[in-house]
Formats: sequence, C-alpha cells, structure tokens
Amino acid sequence: MVARRRKRAARDSENRIPSPSGYTAIPIKFSEKQQASHYLYVRAHSVREGTKSTWPRKRTLFVLNVPPYCTEECLSCLLSSCGPVQSMELQDKPDLAESLKEPRSKFFHPKPVPGFQVAYVVFQKPGGVSAALALKGPLLVSTESHPVKTGIQKWIRDYADSVPDPEALRVEVDTFMEAYDQKIAEEETKAKEEEGVPDEEGWVKVTRRGRRPVLPRTEAASLRVLERERRKRARKELLNFYAWQHRESKMEHLAQLRKKFEEDKQRIELLRAQRKFRPY
Amino acid sequence: MDPAPAGKQLRGATGGPEVMEPTLEGKGKEGKKASSRKRTLAEPPVKGLLQPVKLSRAELYKEPTNEELNRLRETEILFHSSLLRLQVEELLKEVRLSEKKKDRIDAFLREVNQRVMRVPSVPETELTDQSWLPAGVRVPLHQLPYAVKGCFRFLPPAQVVVVGSYLLGTCIRPDVNVDVALTMPREILQDKDGLNQRYFRKRALYLAHLAHHLAQDPLFGSVRFSYTNGCHLKPSLLLRPRGKDEHLVTVRLHPCPPPDFFRPCRLLPTKNNVRSAWYRGQSPAGDGSPEPPTPHYNTWVLQDTALESHLQLLSTMLGSAQGLKDGVALLKVWLRQRELDKGQGGLTGFVVSMLVVFLVSTRKIHTTMSGYQVLRSVLQFLATTDLTVNGISLCLSSDPSLPALADFHQAFSVVFLDSSGRLNLCADITASTYHQVQHEARLSMMLLDSKADDGFQLLLMTPKPMIRAFDHVLHLRPLSRLQAACHRLKLWPELQDNGGDYVSAALGPLTTLLEQGLGTRMHLLAHSRPPVPEWDISQDPPKHKDSGTLTLGLLLRPEGLTSILELGPEADQPEAAEFRQFWGSRSELRRFQDGAIREAVVWEAASMSQKRLIPHQVVTHLLALHADIPETCIHYVGGPLDALIQGLKETSSTGEEALAVAVRCYDDLSRLLWGLEGLPLTVSAVQGAHPVLRYTEVFPPTPVRPASSFYEPLRERSSLLPRPDKPCPAYVEPMPVVCHLEGSGQWPQDAEAVRRVRAAFQLRLAELLRQQHGLQCRATATHTDVLKDGFVFRVRVAYHREPQILREVQSPEGLNSLRDTPASLCLERDTRQLPLLTSVLHGLQQQHPAFSGVARLAKRWVRAQLLGEGFTDESLDLVAAALFLHPEPFTPPSSPQVGFLRFLFLVSTFDWKNNPLIVNLNNELTVEEQVEIRSSFLAARAQLPIMVIVTPQDRKNSVWTQDGPSAQILQQLVVLAAEALPVLEKQLMDPRGPGDIRTVFRPPLDIYDVLIFLSPRHIPRHRQAVDSPAASFCRGLRSEPGPSSLMPVLGYDPPQLYLTQLREAFGDLALFFYDQHGGEVIGVLWKPTSFQPQPFKASGTKGRMVMFQGGELVMVPNVEAILEDFAVLGEGLVQTVEARSERWTV
Repeated sequence: MVARRRKRAARDSENRIPSPSGYTAIPIKFSEKQQASHYLYVRAHSVREGTKSTWPRKRTLFVLNVPPYCTEECLSCLLSSCGPVQSMELQDKPDLAESLKEPRSKFFHPKPVPGFQVAYVVFQKPGGVSAALALKGPLLVSTESHPVKTGIQKWIRDYADSVPDPEALRVEVDTFMEAYDQKIAEEETKAKEEEGVPDEEGWVKVTRRGRRPVLPRTEAASLRVLERERRKRARKELLNFYAWQHRESKMEHLAQLRKKFEEDKQRIELLRAQRKFRPY
Repeated sequence: MDPAPAGKQLRGATGGPEVMEPTLEGKGKEGKKASSRKRTLAEPPVKGLLQPVKLSRAELYKEPTNEELNRLRETEILFHSSLLRLQVEELLKEVRLSEKKKDRIDAFLREVNQRVMRVPSVPETELTDQSWLPAGVRVPLHQLPYAVKGCFRFLPPAQVVVVGSYLLGTCIRPDVNVDVALTMPREILQDKDGLNQRYFRKRALYLAHLAHHLAQDPLFGSVRFSYTNGCHLKPSLLLRPRGKDEHLVTVRLHPCPPPDFFRPCRLLPTKNNVRSAWYRGQSPAGDGSPEPPTPHYNTWVLQDTALESHLQLLSTMLGSAQGLKDGVALLKVWLRQRELDKGQGGLTGFVVSMLVVFLVSTRKIHTTMSGYQVLRSVLQFLATTDLTVNGISLCLSSDPSLPALADFHQAFSVVFLDSSGRLNLCADITASTYHQVQHEARLSMMLLDSKADDGFQLLLMTPKPMIRAFDHVLHLRPLSRLQAACHRLKLWPELQDNGGDYVSAALGPLTTLLEQGLGTRMHLLAHSRPPVPEWDISQDPPKHKDSGTLTLGLLLRPEGLTSILELGPEADQPEAAEFRQFWGSRSELRRFQDGAIREAVVWEAASMSQKRLIPHQVVTHLLALHADIPETCIHYVGGPLDALIQGLKETSSTGEEALAVAVRCYDDLSRLLWGLEGLPLTVSAVQGAHPVLRYTEVFPPTPVRPASSFYEPLRERSSLLPRPDKPCPAYVEPMPVVCHLEGSGQWPQDAEAVRRVRAAFQLRLAELLRQQHGLQCRATATHTDVLKDGFVFRVRVAYHREPQILREVQSPEGLNSLRDTPASLCLERDTRQLPLLTSVLHGLQQQHPAFSGVARLAKRWVRAQLLGEGFTDESLDLVAAALFLHPEPFTPPSSPQVGFLRFLFLVSTFDWKNNPLIVNLNNELTVEEQVEIRSSFLAARAQLPIMVIVTPQDRKNSVWTQDGPSAQILQQLVVLAAEALPVLEKQLMDPRGPGDIRTVFRPPLDIYDVLIFLSPRHIPRHRQAVDSPAASFCRGLRSEPGPSSLMPVLGYDPPQLYLTQLREAFGDLALFFYDQHGGEVIGVLWKPTSFQPQPFKASGTKGRMVMFQGGELVMVPNVEAILEDFAVLGEGLVQTVEARSERWTV
C-alpha cells in the first residue's frame, strides 16, 4: 500500500510539482514581479474515524503554507474562481475545531502579527473543493485590480487603525460590565437561596458568608496552617540534649564538610581542566 | 558565527546525573586510582559543567580516619575554606619550578661558573683609555662626564655565588631569573673608587669584557645587557642557554666589590660621593655651601656589598618554613597581577621577602603559618603601615654611629632598612608607588574579609592592568620633555644623584605636584614604572628618552568631581601668595556669597562629562606652568568613548542632563496623578518603568515638537499619522509609568472583568488629566498616553491583586491553588518587578554618577554588534550595575571609559555556565543567602536560562534573561567582547592617541548569510548610527516650541515593525540581527538545524517546499521564495537583499 502510493507520487512528479501524498501543490506568488514562488499544499478536509471536526465534510478545503502577506480576503478572492466561498479561517496551526464564533474584542485581543498560516476554506458546494484541487497556478496575491499593501504602506495603515476610538471602547466596556454585574448578581441570589438548605443527601454547604466564616479553601491557607504547626513542634523539641543527638549532630557536621570537600574538588577539577590556574 | 554549542553541552551534560566516585582516605591506593580513572571517564573536561555532588549515605556517615580529621582541622585553622586551600595548592603547583627543570638549571649554572672563571685577564690601563675593548662590544653605561681618574684591568672573579630567590625556592614561573654575584678581585679596585662613579665605570667595563668572551661561547643562546633593578648606573649581563631551554631561565651576572672594601660610613644617605665639580664641570660655589648628598648613588653601591648577607638572612629565616616560602610566592603573584613588581622602582620579590623576614622578626608571622596566612598578614601590614612616614628597620643593634630613621626619611620617600641599618631596601620606590601598594593591600584585605566572593580568583588570578584599574590615564610623550622639566623644577642635585636619569629624578616632584593640584578630585595617582631595557652587547645602552612613555593613572573621587571651584585662602592670609604661585594666572580674587573674598580657581565645565574632565584641565595647566611641559606632550585619555553616547549635534554633554530633564518631567506627572480628583479609587503608587527613568537609555529623549505639515492629522482623535510620501517621522518612544490603584472590594474577581475595569480607569484618567491639567491624552484598553512638555508617558493602571487572580487555579476537589501562568508572570514583571528595578537602579545612579555612562556605553556596544535584541534592557543594566556593586578587585568605576572596559572584561571572562551573576542591589543579600543561592543554582541548572542574573528581588527565576539570550547569542557576545577588549585597551594605551575609537563598535558583517540593506529614508533613528551620517532626512520636528494639540506619532519604527514580521514568518528558519540605533543593515543567519531535509509534516510546512531527494519526499526551506519575501514584506524600506553565502543550498 505504502509502496504503491510512493510509486504514484513518483509518477506524478514527472509532470507535476512534487507534493506529499494526498496533497496538491499550487504555486503562489506575491505578484508578477517575483521569480520564485511558494507552494500551497491543499487537500479536501478529512478526519480519521472517530475524531470530531466542526468543519463540514466534503465542502472544506484544507490549505497549508499560506504566506504571511496573504490575508483572508485575498485567499477567498483567489479561490472564488473555483466556486463561491461560504466561510474561511486562517489559523496558526491545524486545528480541527472551528474557533469560537464569538466576536473577539479588537480592544482587548489585538490581532497577532501573521506568519505562515493554514486555512480552512468552506465552499458552498462540494464542487469548489475539487475545482480548487485542480488549480494550476501560479496564484497571484497582489494584482493590479486587487493590490495588497505591504511594507511602509501597510505599517502606516496599521498605525492609523491602531489609534483607538475612546467612545467605542467605553461602549464596549459598559456593555460587558453590565452583563458581568448581572451574572454576578444572579450567582449571589442563587447562593443565598441555597444557603443553609440541605441537599438531597442531607449535606449543608458552609460558605464564607455564613454567620461563622470558615477558612477559605486555598492552598496558601492550608500551607499557612501546616507551617504554624511545624513551628509549634520545633519550639518544643530539645536540641543536643541526649548523647545520641550530640553524636549525630557532630556526624552531620562532618558529613557536611565531606560534601563540601567533594564539591570543591569537583570545582578545582573543572578549573584545572580549563587551565584556570595559570595566573598570567 | 562560530556555532559553539554551549547549549548543546548544557543539554548533554545534564542528561543523566552521574554519581561521583568519592576519593576519600582509607580506601587503599588501588581503589583511589581506579576511581580517579573512572571520574575522568565519566566527565571529560570538555563538558565543563558543574553538577550537584551526590554521595551515598555510607560514604557521608562512615567513621572518619585520623588523617582526614587532621586535614579538616588544618583547613579550618590555616585556611579560609577547603576550596581556598585547594586553589592555593593548585596555583603554587602552577608557578613553582619542577625538580626536573631545577636540575637542568643547576647544570647550566655549573657551566656558567666554569666559563666565567676561564675568561682571560687583560693588562692594566687608564679608565678613560678603552681602546683595549674588542670591537664587538660596547660599554653598557652612559659615561657622562667621560673623564674620570683611575685604572682598570680585568681579572677573573674571586668568587662566583648564586644569590636571590632561586636558592630559596621562592622564584616563580614564568621568567625564571637566577642572580649570580661575581666578586671582583681586590686588585681591580683602588681607594676612593666609591667617588664619582669610578666603581660603576669599572663594573661596566668588567661586564663588557666578560660579555665579549661569553658571547663567543656556543653554550649561550643569547648574551645581552640589562640594568639591575632598572638602575642606570648598574648594568648586568643576561645569559640564556642555547636551544630548547632558551626560555627556561635567565642567568643575571652582577659584579660586586670584595667584602669590606667600601667603608660604610662613607655611604650614609647624608654623604656626597658625586662631586659637583666633576659632574657639572664647574667648581663648587664659592660661598662654601656643602656638596648635596647623594643618597641614591650611595645606596646602589651599598646594595652590591650586601648581596650575600641578605641571602644569608633570608635563608636562615625562610629556609625551613615551607609556609613562608609559599607565602612569598603568593605575594609575588599578587604583585605581578597588579603590575607592581615591574620596572624601575617596583616592589620586587626581594623586598617582599625581606618584609616577610621583618614580620617574622617582629613576631607578626610565625614560621608554622600557611602561605595564605602569610599573604594575609603581609597585606594587613602593608594596608595599615605607611612606610613613607614611619619607616621600619631590620637592624637590632643600638649603635649610636648608625644614622637615624629621620635621616633616611629626609633622603628617601619610602624607608625600610636592612639588618646593617645603613641600606634602605626601598630606596628606588616612589611615594606614589608605595601608596598604590597600600591601596591595593587595603582593597585586598576588604575582599578577604568580605567572605562573599571567590576571593582567590579576584585576588590572585585577575590581572589589573593600568587602563582597566584607573578611571583616567594620561601619557607623557616624548620623555625628553622631562629633561626640561628637571631644569624648570631645579632638580640638579637629584640629577647628580641619579647619574643623569632625568625620568627618575622628575617622577617624584611631578607626582607630588599633580597630587597637590588634583586634591579632592582624586583618590590615588599612580605612575607607570619605566621598563627595564635589555639590549645587545654590540649596541650602546638605550637613552633615557627611549624608555617609552610615562603613563599616569588617576583614580577619581566622584564626590570631588562635582565642583568646578578650587577654593583658596582668604586674600589677606599669607597662604594666598602661595596659592597664587601654585595656580599662576588661573587664580583669581573672588567675592563669595558669605562675604568672604578669597583666591579661587574656576574651571569651565557645564555638564557632567565636562566636570569629569576637569582633571585634564588641571594637569595641562599645572604641567605647563611648573614643569614646562606643553599641552602637545600630554595625551589625556579620559573621554574618547564619550562621543558614542553623545546625542545628535551634541558635543558638550553625555546626556546625563537630558535624562535628568525627562526624570523631572516624570516627577511632575506623578505629582499630577497623585493629586487627581474625581477618580473612583485613589492612586496608591506611581512608578516609572522605562530605562530613561533609571538613566540607562542610550540616547535620552528630546521634547517633541511636531511640524504639522509633515503629518496627516486625524483631528477627531486628536492624533497625527505618518504620511507615506514623507520620510519616516522622528521616533518617539512612550515611557511606561505604572499607576497602582488602591485595593477595594469593588474590584471584580474575574480576570476578564478586571481588564474591562482597568480600561474604564484608563479612559477616566485620560479625561481627568485633560480636564484638570489640559494635557493631551489618548486612552486605550491597556494604557493612557500622556503628552507632557514634549515627553510622552504611557500610564498603565495596575491592580495589585490581578496577577494573583490570573494565577488562581481550582482543583477538581475545589481547592484553590496558585500556579504561575505566562500571563501572570508577564503582568507581575511589568507592574511589580520592572518598576522596582527601575527605582533601585535610579538610586544606584545617585550613588555612582558614572553608572549612567557605563550602562549606556555597554548597551550601545551590545546593540552596535547587532545583538541588542537578544538581551533585555534590564539584563544589560544589571550587568553594568554589577560592576559598581561588586567591583572587586577594582574600585567602583568613576568614568564611563573604565567601566566599559570592565564590562567587556566581565562579559568575556565570566563563567555563565557554572555561576549565577549575583547583583546584590541595596546590599540586601547576606553572605549565607548568597551561598544558598549558588547551591540551589547548581541543583536547578538545567531549568534555568543560560545567563542567570540574581537580584534580591528575583532570587530564583532570573526574570530578565528568561526569554534570551540563547546560548549561541551569549557565546557570540563573549567572543566579541574578548576580541574587543584588547583592541580597545591597546588603542587607549597608545600614547599617540587612540585613533579611531569606533573600531570596536563596528560589527563584523561577514558572518551573516544574507544582508538586508534598508533605506535611510525610513529609519527614524538614522542619525544615531555609530558612524553618524553626514546628512539625513528631515524628521518633521520644529526647532522652536509652538502650540501643538495633537498627539505625535508614537512608537512608529518601520525597521522594528519589519523585524517583527520577519521573525514571525521565518523565525524557525533564520535569526535576524539589527542595530536599533540607526542600523542600515539587517543580518540574517540561517539556522543550520532547520536546513536539514525533513519528512513531511502538516504542522511544519511554514515557508518550505517539498522535493525529491534520494527517492524520498522531503521538505526543505524554499530559499529563493523567502529571499523575495524579504523584499515584499519590507516594501519601501528594503533597498536590496544580498545573499552572501552558499550555505543554504541544500
């Protein structure tokens, strides 16, 4: 099976651009002027049995190695020749699940600087995928009709975009906080209702808000308790009281010295190896 | 770049911990041998990494043997620690002569003895008739005046004995010298030979004849002349064996008079033995004034008579005590590392041995002491005893005929008499040399007492060359100028005494003059000692002026440097005339605010850097006035490196003042924030978090005054935007300021909600600042930019519990625990640790005014080498701070120049792999804590970054080096520093001037695979480049202030934006290097590992292509396309992309 696949790949390579098995390579360039091109490796999106994927089967095209200057609009524009594109997403690395559709705030989650990305392109019809697999290329990212800004132009545009609009920010904060306050209030009323009410097995939940507050259940608090206990015990202990304690502490001192001696010897060995004892 | 795989070693070494084979006593010889062999197998020295020691329980707790207990006790009593003991033993092994070599030297000495005895004698002639001398040899003495009475004939020596350290076993490698004394037969000498250099003439002729005969002998590889201890009247003959032993040993022949030939009473320091009539060719003044005494001349004669008795004394005292000999050897190493034993008038090993003898005789040293204890006692003695005031004597007899110590103090600057009570052993040592020794001894004692650092390394293994030890250095050249100086200073008696050696004669008075003039500005003035020349026997001895350059080193006192005034006495005091005479025309009468009218000298200096250079003015003025040495002969090396941290078109200041202006503006802003009314919560703290606010920004910010025509205005958000058709506008970096708000129950307990509340605060802050103080503000979700007096501050509101909220994790059982997350660590660093560090370093700058200059020069250099982005700002600042907080064995630098040299030295010599760099800010770490830190460092080495910097605030994690540098980058920095240091030191020590000081700041570009050249039009900081361009573009700034209500363009630096994109896209294929201070080129280095063909993987296709190689489908980087991407991504900024190496062709 593997051998046959490899053979087929070898046969393909004679008239096609080499591509890994299962993938098709489509050359892509920034514009006419460039000599060499990158290669998009595309295939129909498929998953192993049993794994879940939110991307629709048959209609999704999986694209590897999308160059950094190629934006979502660009890519959908390039692939629209194969059929209408329903949606598409550029990601940092392959991810089976569709990212959360909740719109992320542009104030609190600024877009990261893109590198090479992968894309999931969902066509409206399955035919789009097969048409895309047959694309010959080379695709051009920036054309005269759809110029793509890079370099100075792009940075100036980005800077202009980054100048914030305080009003929009205020509105967003206010709506978020309103929702948050509401959520907290709901939780509080729920907690108040449940307080002192035993559950079906008869347990009562003790909270900090009760009449007699208890220790919070945090690691720091439990560590504090343990430390206090330890100190209490240490205060009571007698040191060098019995003969055996005395003997042992002496032995412990000797062991420390021995250990130190060994460490020092190792250090010296190292320095000698580095010729560090030549004064000049 | 040499990809020295320090990181690989690191990983390799920490792979599997090996159990150390213990080698303790009582195991029998066999076992020992086997285990040592095993150890060398287990850890080959190339690895060079320390590992935590693991001993089995049985080994640790077995019964101790007597021998072991003895050794442990001895270590405890005689040495500081067992490590020190081992180190000292290793060092002594390294410097001591081996038995085998001693045998070879002994054989050579026997040969020398025989050959010297066989030299034929010559008939008697007049001293002035030297025609009998054969053609191939010249008399090794300047015979001035030539005419002298007396006769000379050569006879073989009456006695040949070895004297000096060789016999005592205290001579140290390298440069082993064996001193041999040749006793001239009595027949050669006549009465009154002690007069008028007759004895020295004969001595020189004796050697000349000897040299001629020995030079023909095939036994000797070289026969040359030199001076004994650099004394120009006393030549000696150097013999070296032929063949492979040539560098093994130098035998020095010193002729000496027969015992009891000279009457000691004629050679007392008060006596004259060089008659003015003979020396100056004029009869003594008729007024009957006595002849001037010639103490140095007398001493030199006496030295020759006492060679043997000194040897006897030394061998009886040191002979049987190994500890004392070790101590002398250690002292010699100590002196040599400080360049104190070299040249004429140095503290030689002989003087030190005699000092040990003195301390033994006064019972300060006991013969059973160890070498380390002897070293310590001698240093203690030197540190506390000023021999220039209180001389010491080995002489025990109370003979009234002996001269008093006071007589010696009158004649010599340093007094240490030998056992005869007539000879001063320190006759040639100048007062400033001795003060330098004292200074060094004091520093060393402090170091030994501090217990914290590796004293051995700093004390005995670290060289202290002049240029690195002194803040400023000045060269006097040519030396012939000193002849005129001698005449100006009226030093004829001294010249007569020194036999015409004007350098030695002028040295003492010159240093005294400068010490007096520099006064409170200076801690210590040291001078280089003229090197002892060595010349061929067929040549005339070198002239005094040929002994190179006189170099003076100044150790400045920072608190004295701030004053531009030299306050003299009140005008009507008698001292006023003296003051006027000393300062000459610079002294003026001035009326002061308290009504006093005083003589005073005022120097011109406006800025810190100019004040640092006042000593230059003082030295130039005084030398011209009193010693007739013009300015052209003085090459003052104090500020050539200042040019690199001077701002644009700025020559008078190194930026400390400009930084202070920015800090003052920040102080004003923080007061405004404190007093802001209408915030729901009050401000609890305002802290700066930018290099400017700790004085370490390389180029201080200037107030921005944008010219509106240059920008695209965005009025509705009151901001300016850059325009594509104009050159890139000036770079304005907002300075972060953290504004802590008080805690309150009203803060939400959810991370996302806290961010929203903070954003609301940012908006409110902007609004209030605009309303109440009319400041231009711009709020975003994370910060508020405030424009104040042309400086832009980025105020970030912080809530002190936010990092904790980010850390909270709830376990399934409902237990809340705290775990560090990247977000919490980042927030902690930005809002807590960075402001803390900034304020601590701000404090350091107040203590050490040179800190700013050093840190900025260091940073400038690292960035100029294109490595700046591998290191955080803070890590470099901390390395610079370490130079001030842990200067041992030096003192804290007081000038940027010396600080920068020590930065290079520290970076290139520090063992980053095995040691954390502990920067004890505010002295908060105790000695025990430092020990603790070191041991926990060893245990956790594998988890820590390659460069570890520990501060009291950051004891475990080394926050500032977490994200870099990588092992390779650090290694590259170490290599570059090691190369730059000698080049720069050589430039600065060059008496003809340092030449092009920017040489070491230019990066090597031939190591990069690809160079991307950028267009200066879009480099906003183009003018800051190391080689500042003659012309650059207008950056849209107005020269005079005007009203501007719009926020300037902030943080817009196209090269940085370009680099971010490049790193994001190609970060796993290549490294990018750039100098943010106006660099015109980006260096690209392909990563060799990512160029290995790899099998196809869906997650690893970034920028690669699939191809066939050997029948396999593999992925390789698509280099041609990537090179074109470089140009595409930086369109407008990139000029050309130049692929320089073919290494990437796969």
